[in-house]
Amino acid sequence: MLEINNVHKSFGKNQILKGVDLNVEKGDIIVILGPSGSGKTTLLRCINFLERAEEGTINFDEIHTSFKGASKQDISRIRKRTGFVFQNYNLFANKTALQNVTEGLIVGRKIPKDEAIRRGKQALDKVGLSDRYDYYPSQLSGGQQQRVGIARAIAAEPDVILFDEPTSALDPELVGEVLGVMKSLAKEGATMIVVTHEMGFAQDVANEVVFMDGGVIVEKGTPSELFSRPKDERTIQFLKRIIREDFDYSI
Amino acid sequence: MNLNLSFMAETFVHALTGIPTTLKITLVTMLISAPLGFFMALGRMKGNKGGGRLAALYVSFIRGTPVVLQILFMYSLLPSLLNYLFKSILHLNINIFRMDPIVYAYIVFSLNTTAILSEVFRSALMSVGHGQMEAALASGLSSSQAYRRIIIPQGLVVALPNICNTTINLLKSTSLAFMMTVKDIMAIAKMDAAYGYNYIEAYLVVLVIYIILCTLVQILFKVMEGSLSGYRRRITA
Repeated sequence: MLEINNVHKSFGKNQILKGVDLNVEKGDIIVILGPSGSGKTTLLRCINFLERAEEGTINFDEIHTSFKGASKQDISRIRKRTGFVFQNYNLFANKTALQNVTEGLIVGRKIPKDEAIRRGKQALDKVGLSDRYDYYPSQLSGGQQQRVGIARAIAAEPDVILFDEPTSALDPELVGEVLGVMKSLAKEGATMIVVTHEMGFAQDVANEVVFMDGGVIVEKGTPSELFSRPKDERTIQFLKRIIREDFDYSI
Repeated sequence: MNLNLSFMAETFVHALTGIPTTLKITLVTMLISAPLGFFMALGRMKGNKGGGRLAALYVSFIRGTPVVLQILFMYSLLPSLLNYLFKSILHLNINIFRMDPIVYAYIVFSLNTTAILSEVFRSALMSVGHGQMEAALASGLSSSQAYRRIIIPQGLVVALPNICNTTINLLKSTSLAFMMTVKDIMAIAKMDAAYGYNYIEAYLVVLVIYIILCTLVQILFKVMEGSLSGYRRRITA
C-alpha cells in the first residue's frame, strides 16, 4: 500500500537519513526504534512532507512520485490519506476538542458540517473523551490532549496513521491511557507506523519492528525475532540499554 | 507658588475641545497602520525575501529616528515636494499650502506606527508556534487556511497587549502634532497659557486629560482581551 525507497534527508551538512526503505501493507503495525538522532522522527515527517527529503521515491497506492518532485497536489493527497500524531500534541489552542477534530474534515476535506461533527464525536468517543467535546486544550491533561490528537488523526479514516513518539511528552502515569487507545486502534485493524520508546507496546502490538541507527535501517523483523535474537551489534547494545532502563524504572 | 485655579478650570474646558482632534489622529493612524503593519508582518513571515529586506530597512529607519525629527522633516519637506509634484509635473491647480495640517499628522504617525505594529504582529504570529501549523497541514488544511483559521486568530490575541501599548504611545505622541499647527489638546492649552504665562497650570491640565484618555484606552483593550481570549481559560473547578 505504502512504499518508500531510498530516502535521503540532510539538514545543512548534517545527513540524517542515508537511504531508508520501508514497505507498509494494510493492517501493518510497524514500530520504529532507535537511539535519538537516528532519524526515526525525520523519516516519519518525510512521509507526510513536513520535511522535504532530497532523494527517494514514495508509492502510495496509485500515487507515485519522488520526494523532491512531488507536486502540491501529490502532497495534499498523501496528507489526506495519512493521520499524524505529534509528540507535543500540537492541538489548535483556539479550538475546542471537537473543533480540533472537525477542522480538518470541514475545512481541509470539505465534508459537510453535520457529517463532520458526527464523525468528530465518534472519534472522540473512541478515545474515551465523550465528556470533553467542548473543552479547550488548556483545560485538558496531557493524556487527554494526546487522545484528542489521536482522534484528530483518525477522524478522517486515513489509510495510515503516523505516530511520532506519542507518549514521550507525557507524565508516566498518563502513558497508559494513550497506549491503551493505540492498542485498541491496532485491534480494529488500523495501519500504523509508530516511533516510540515503549518496548512493551512494540512487543505486544507490532507485527514488524524496525531498528534504525545513524540514518539507516540496521535491522528489522517480528518483535520476537528482534527482541530475543537481535543480530546486529548496535541493536544488541540499544536493547540492553533500554531494557536496563526499563528495569531501573520499575524498582 | 499659587496656581491660578480659575484659569485651570477654563483651560480644562477649553482643552477638552481638542480631544476630538487627538482621538481623530489616533484612530485614523491606527486604521491605516494596523492593516499595513499586519500584511507587512505576514509577508515577512511567509518568507518574501526582497520585500522582507525592504520592510526590515524601513522598520530600522523609523526606529532609528526620533518622532520629533520625523515630524519636522515631513512638515518642512512634504509640502514643498507635493507642491512641486502637483504644479510642475501633474499640472494640477491645487494649493497644497492650504491643506489641513492634520493630514501631515496622519502621514507621519502612520509611517511610524506601521513600522512598530509590523513588529508587534510579527512577534505575535511567531509566538503561536510552528507545531500548530504542522498539525494543520497534516490535518489537510492548506497553509493559507492554517494562517486564517489557526495562527492569525491566536496571534491577534497575543498581540493585543502590545497593540494597546502602541495605541497609548501613539495617543501620547499626537501631542507633538502642535508642531504641525494642528490644534489638539496640547496646542490649545499652550496657546491659552501664552496669554498670562500660566504654563504650569496648562501643563497640569494637559496631564490630567491625557491620564484620563490613556486609562480609557487601557480599559477598552482589557475588555477586548477578556472577550477574545476565552480559549486560554483553565479548569476552574
